[in-house]
Amino acid sequence: MSEGALGKAQEPTVGVSILEGVRHRLPLETYVLGLTVLVWVLLAIFAKYFWTAGNITDILRQVSIDAILAFGSLFPIILAGIDLSVGSVAGLSGVIFSMLIADAGQGVLVALVVTVIIGLIIGMVNGWASARLGIPPFIVTLAGLQGYRGLALLLSGGLTISGMPGGLQKFALSSVLHVPSLFLLMLAFGVAAHFLLAYTRTGRYMYAIGSNIESARRVGIKVTLVVIVAYALASLYATVSGLLLVARLSMGAPTAATGSELAAIAAAVVGGASLFGGRGTILGCFIGALLFTTIGNGANLLGINSFWQMVIEGLLIAFVVYFDNLQKRRQAGLG
Amino acid sequence: MKKVLLLAAAALGCTMIGAQAGDFSKAKIDVIVKATTSQYWGTVFDGARQAAKDLGLSIATLGAPSELDVAQEVQILENATAAKPTGIVIAATNAQALAQPIDAATKAGIPVVVIDSDANTKNYVTFLATNNETGGRKAAIEMARCIKARTGGDTGKVAYLTALAGAQSLNDRDRGFVEQLKSFPGLAIVEHRVGNNEASRALSDSEDLLTAHPDLVGIFADNELEGDGAGTAVSEKGLGSKVCLVAFDTSDQEIKFVRTGIIDALIVQNPFMMGYAGVWYALAAAHGVVFPKYVDTGVSVVTKDNIDSPQMVGLLDPKKYVLSPFLGAQ
Repeated sequence: MSEGALGKAQEPTVGVSILEGVRHRLPLETYVLGLTVLVWVLLAIFAKYFWTAGNITDILRQVSIDAILAFGSLFPIILAGIDLSVGSVAGLSGVIFSMLIADAGQGVLVALVVTVIIGLIIGMVNGWASARLGIPPFIVTLAGLQGYRGLALLLSGGLTISGMPGGLQKFALSSVLHVPSLFLLMLAFGVAAHFLLAYTRTGRYMYAIGSNIESARRVGIKVTLVVIVAYALASLYATVSGLLLVARLSMGAPTAATGSELAAIAAAVVGGASLFGGRGTILGCFIGALLFTTIGNGANLLGINSFWQMVIEGLLIAFVVYFDNLQKRRQAGLG
Repeated sequence: MKKVLLLAAAALGCTMIGAQAGDFSKAKIDVIVKATTSQYWGTVFDGARQAAKDLGLSIATLGAPSELDVAQEVQILENATAAKPTGIVIAATNAQALAQPIDAATKAGIPVVVIDSDANTKNYVTFLATNNETGGRKAAIEMARCIKARTGGDTGKVAYLTALAGAQSLNDRDRGFVEQLKSFPGLAIVEHRVGNNEASRALSDSEDLLTAHPDLVGIFADNELEGDGAGTAVSEKGLGSKVCLVAFDTSDQEIKFVRTGIIDALIVQNPFMMGYAGVWYALAAAHGVVFPKYVDTGVSVVTKDNIDSPQMVGLLDPKKYVLSPFLGAQ
């Protein structure tokens, strides 16, 4: 099996795709990036305090945790799978982490290691169940969505857990050269994920499996292993975002990140990922997450009714997916 | 407060003179709350457990994990009705959806005591609750007082945060706050945000509010998760001494914020008493006692100055709750 043959099955990396776009079409994320920039410009003009250091810092912090969750959920999406459990895993991780510190008297490092291991195991079980047992990932992770949230509620007795060391929140609020540490951390996780998807064999296998699982099998890709890695990564990223939520609020809340699996999937899809697999980039995910965060921030700054904000977000998802579909039909000569 | 307990004690005393606690050992009361996920409802359970211990009866503590899950609460109530307990204590997540199942329970001969949030029916023993509108009014008064103390004036912009759309108790709080604030014509409400009962969302919303209105002098957060989020935002931005933050309820985080001067006043209900008296009333009603249709469990204002006073300690930490001697507790 040559790398070149597989390389054809994968979505080209961002740099290459822009070049190819000149010939074929621009990838969806380019348009979404344009839209995001447009929203930023409009807000900078119309929202008085949008373009201030304080507000930009707030946006960078707000987008960080959501983007990490979205990065994680991209791996299964590329495989034509889905992970609906990431929000619950984030919530459960936060509870386990804060209880290890507050109730079991463990240090931050021990709590962190234990929580990350648990997160990885959860992800591996998700991947194993869908690849090996053949249960559709939608069902496996739907069970996780319910089960892990339930576990978070059970462990905490449904209560928030306080008593976190002050250093955690200090970290969540700290900046390096005026850039929030949370944002830098998000960048690090983003770059790592991008590297994995764009430059490693495992990443290329993920696109290959998502494009056509049968031919991937036939060329000898160890599908089960790759699927397990993808779901383990989704869970790992969810765990990290759960830990950061604890740091940010200085408390563990069993309801933390409720429903955020859908926000993460929406960010990935708006950023150009296809739920049918084989397509999606980390940069696109980030742009999607940034667009949603910007809309939330803008709605607050402009005093737009909270319910309208939800409607706008819904319209955005519908519009982007329709636009993407339209383009594909045109390309196929259907439109 | 004392009145609530006296009423229960007198009622029970009249019907069961000389009765020993052991006599109720077969009695079982189901306590159904809106969400098992908040400290507030945990405290209701604590009160109910204390009553169960004092009376020697058994209780079941039930509820959906989330206040959003109305259907599950209906189901829990229907299941409870089918099992025919001695009595049911319930907080209605949705006034309309719970009305019919409560009617059905009453019709089945089970006394139902509604606590905290009312249902659109009168087929129950009594409604035992905080007057949320009064709580909202107190919040407005505390905010005005704080702004006066801070700025020396009585003008400025304020905002308020609603935890969740469509919850009766929150609507009442907000209405009380908005109405009472009208008596301070210099204070103008410039923003209102509705969250999804999640602290991180409340944090983002509050940050953005503080950015959009640098001259904001007051924020009212209408439940504990909103209070946690708003407090974190005010503390992050170092605006504790500038913004008057008034919040409902008493999470650990909120109490910490009061001590550090981030939250200026907490509007505190008495959930312990709702659980405690709820179980008593349900038992008494099962023995034929008739109660007034509405009993107010009261709201208190906790500030940095009174947070360690004996009256407040029990409200903030149910483990330190000292019950009135009339009930023979302790």
